[in-house]
Amino acid sequence: MEAVRFEDFSYQYPKTGQGLDRVTLSVPQGSFTVVTGTNGSGKTTLCLAMTGLVPHFFGGAMSGRVMVEGYNTADRAVADTAANVGLVMEDYESQLVALTVFDEVAFALENAAVPAHLIRDRVLAALESVGLAGLEERELSALSGGQKQRLAVASVLVSRPAILVLDEPTSALDPEGAADLYELIARLNREQGITVVVSEHDLARALPHADSVVVMAAGRVALAGPLNEVLTRMLSEQVYDAAVPSLRRLKAALETEQRQFSAWMTAGEAAAEINACLKSTRRLSLSA
Amino acid sequence: MKSLAPLCNLLLMIMVSIWTVLLWDPALLALLLALELGLLAVAGQLGKLAKALFGLFMVAMFFAAIQLPFDVAVATAVASGLKMMVMTVAVLLMLATTRLPSLTAALVRQVRIPYEYAFMFTSALRFMPDFIAESHAVREAQVCRGYVHSKNPLKRIVAYAASVEPMVLRAITRSDTMAMSLELRGFGSVNRTFSQQIAFQTRDYLMVGFLALVTAAVIVCR
Repeated sequence: MEAVRFEDFSYQYPKTGQGLDRVTLSVPQGSFTVVTGTNGSGKTTLCLAMTGLVPHFFGGAMSGRVMVEGYNTADRAVADTAANVGLVMEDYESQLVALTVFDEVAFALENAAVPAHLIRDRVLAALESVGLAGLEERELSALSGGQKQRLAVASVLVSRPAILVLDEPTSALDPEGAADLYELIARLNREQGITVVVSEHDLARALPHADSVVVMAAGRVALAGPLNEVLTRMLSEQVYDAAVPSLRRLKAALETEQRQFSAWMTAGEAAAEINACLKSTRRLSLSA
Repeated sequence: MKSLAPLCNLLLMIMVSIWTVLLWDPALLALLLALELGLLAVAGQLGKLAKALFGLFMVAMFFAAIQLPFDVAVATAVASGLKMMVMTVAVLLMLATTRLPSLTAALVRQVRIPYEYAFMFTSALRFMPDFIAESHAVREAQVCRGYVHSKNPLKRIVAYAASVEPMVLRAITRSDTMAMSLELRGFGSVNRTFSQQIAFQTRDYLMVGFLALVTAAVIVCR
């Protein structure tokens, strides 16, 4: 079953005209999809289209449709689509609107008229799931960048969406914070079955958790499919190949020499296989 | 005061302001000020606000002193300074002992102020630290590019004006993101609920009764 389906979807922003061009794409339920591409390739617009903000918020011209959990986003209010899709924007700090952690997470529930006696439990559960338990009364200005990012995730998760979309979530985080955030997202994907779509430049961070990749170029889907297949094609067809992590490049280079490797997900797995490969090569050369 | 309902704290602030307007006896005003400072101390906020209170005291002194050359009685001048200080401390006391989201909820549900207006107030406070940080960043960027901040007040104003433009542009971008966030989270719905507990308890009714009695006494005595 598909969580999101773009059906020949084209969109142009009112002023710049740029946007998406005949995008046809399917995001399976429960998948972890990474959307990548150069700046201005349409990654953010793709994310916004999943939430209905494109076209509802921006206006502009569109054709085709975006189906989210079976609903056409063009036919629903943004707040209704948000019940299915949670979005963490690139500028997550400006996404936060309340003064304290508790009020930030409670905001969407209050707007949805959830009874007051149910709000507290749901807020605490959302904060627990992102590792911010105990910080309910903390003011936002006293949080670190990583904590604010987690809070943005919690404020989205509290509405219990089936799909979580994150637009360049680690662009303002240090490497440790970025790794922590990806661990969190991967856990939500694995344990709660939430479909995850992440727009990301730094593929090395996202790939250990991803199962499919979409490469955008000039508003179009240049490549899309299972992780290893897309990475191989990015290199062979030279589509945004500069973004392919070095280990994957090494693997591709070795595979051109008839060596076969399994689908690496982590640097540890890669190191183990390369070591084994080097040992067997050394044995062969010694015996020769 | 932290245990009082937000609306009760708001009423207390309003009543103290009314008493202050009605009273002209410096001794009574000083007593009122002492009570406010005592309440701030009980709430554990006196230390945090000490600097602001000292600044306020200096302004009040100046306000009183500036009246003396115009044949105003010393008691009246002192009372004027005290009035200003008592009213301002009443506002500080209310803000220091009331959670702003609770105050917002009380204003919307009990005073019937439209939520959009109350939200504008809290969101302005939310982004204040961000704007201050951005203003520092812009000024640092100016210094990095060779700008020397002058000690001349006029030139300093011009320097601040130069930092306004990038801040305004950034604020516009922020407001776009915030608007999207509000849209996504169903802002503006008709049937909004509030998670804050703002209902009046017995102690709140007792406080309101006490405030009414004191107000009546002040009016009668006057």
